[in-house]
Amino acid sequence: MRVSQDLVSDVSEVLLTEEQIAAKVVELGQQISADYAGRQLTLVSVLKGSLPFMADLMRSISLPLRIDLMEVSSYGGTTTESSGLVRILKDLSAPIEGRDVLLVEDIIDTGLTLNYLLRYLRGKNPRSIKVCALLDKPARRLVEIPLDYVGFQIPDAFVVGYGLDFGEVYRNLRFVGVLRPEAYES
Amino acid sequence: MTDGEAPRGPRPDHAFAHASEAEFARILDFYQVEWEYEPQVFPILWDLDGNVLESFAPDFFLPELELFVELTTLQQRLVRKKNRKVRRLRELYPGLRIKLFYARDFRALMLKYGRAALVSELSGTLGQVMTHEEDTEPSAPAGLEPESDVNGHPIDRADAGSSASGESIPVHRRRSRAARRHGGRRSNAGSAPVSPVT
Repeated sequence: MRVSQDLVSDVSEVLLTEEQIAAKVVELGQQISADYAGRQLTLVSVLKGSLPFMADLMRSISLPLRIDLMEVSSYGGTTTESSGLVRILKDLSAPIEGRDVLLVEDIIDTGLTLNYLLRYLRGKNPRSIKVCALLDKPARRLVEIPLDYVGFQIPDAFVVGYGLDFGEVYRNLRFVGVLRPEAYES
Repeated sequence: MTDGEAPRGPRPDHAFAHASEAEFARILDFYQVEWEYEPQVFPILWDLDGNVLESFAPDFFLPELELFVELTTLQQRLVRKKNRKVRRLRELYPGLRIKLFYARDFRALMLKYGRAALVSELSGTLGQVMTHEEDTEPSAPAGLEPESDVNGHPIDRADAGSSASGESIPVHRRRSRAARRHGGRRSNAGSAPVSPVT
């Protein structure tokens, strides 16, 4: 993997600018605030990719809320190869039973991770559980799960930035861009 | 693969026709999605007497999702025949949900999971694997010309059955780790080590 010191130069196209993302996050926050008024909302963010989105989204919601973080192993990761099964690397720190949970995801691609997480979280008996995804990439969707709040539907391209990585790099880009093939083919 | 040639890529100990299928099964196992491998054959062409001329057996069925998945790791320009079959399948069986995963999709999946280096080994003709299971008839590599059924009619998988009545026939019913937990028969998805769920 070859990473330029100037991360931006590894991006062939800016798909979503910082301003576009910010405006959409505000819009989502307002919608969520209206929908969950008077309810006990818990935002659950899935590390690591959704961290910037979570940080911005929670500040766009005007309601009292709790946040919690989860991390699950990804297929192909070094921590998972011994078992061959997805694992919860970081579980919720507080019970969600009886609460309204909004799962905050950076991107929905195949839907496999989301499918696993929803099954897991439903087992903790929340009052309700919905999904908020910044990016929806439906081209390779295997598990059709209704997404309650979606920022942008994006084309079939390998995107990085605003939390999204390739090999743990590029998460700190302030925009979402398409990674140059040279960056992952080398 | 010719006699004496060393196998390339992962060597699944399960009779997948192609290494990409074994990898795909490992991904499904990882995320605990139940799967069956080539469980059904769908006739897609008949002669005037009602005999099946052509059939199609999608690679995977995901029962919980009620979705068939067909993988092809051939180059895009070579998948016209596969596209035609999937189109025909959708026309004849409108209630059936099937997803065609092209080479570019498989490549993107591998890239997403940090396994881009494996793509060439798992794709196209390099990804062909030989089958050794006694209960498995010889099977064709994914994407090659369809082989023939007992009547010499083309089938998209050599190990797939066909029916003159036009009904789909269960052929192989290999079930995933998730299925085994529910009392079903488990198949090994490939060469990755497997540990019990904890």
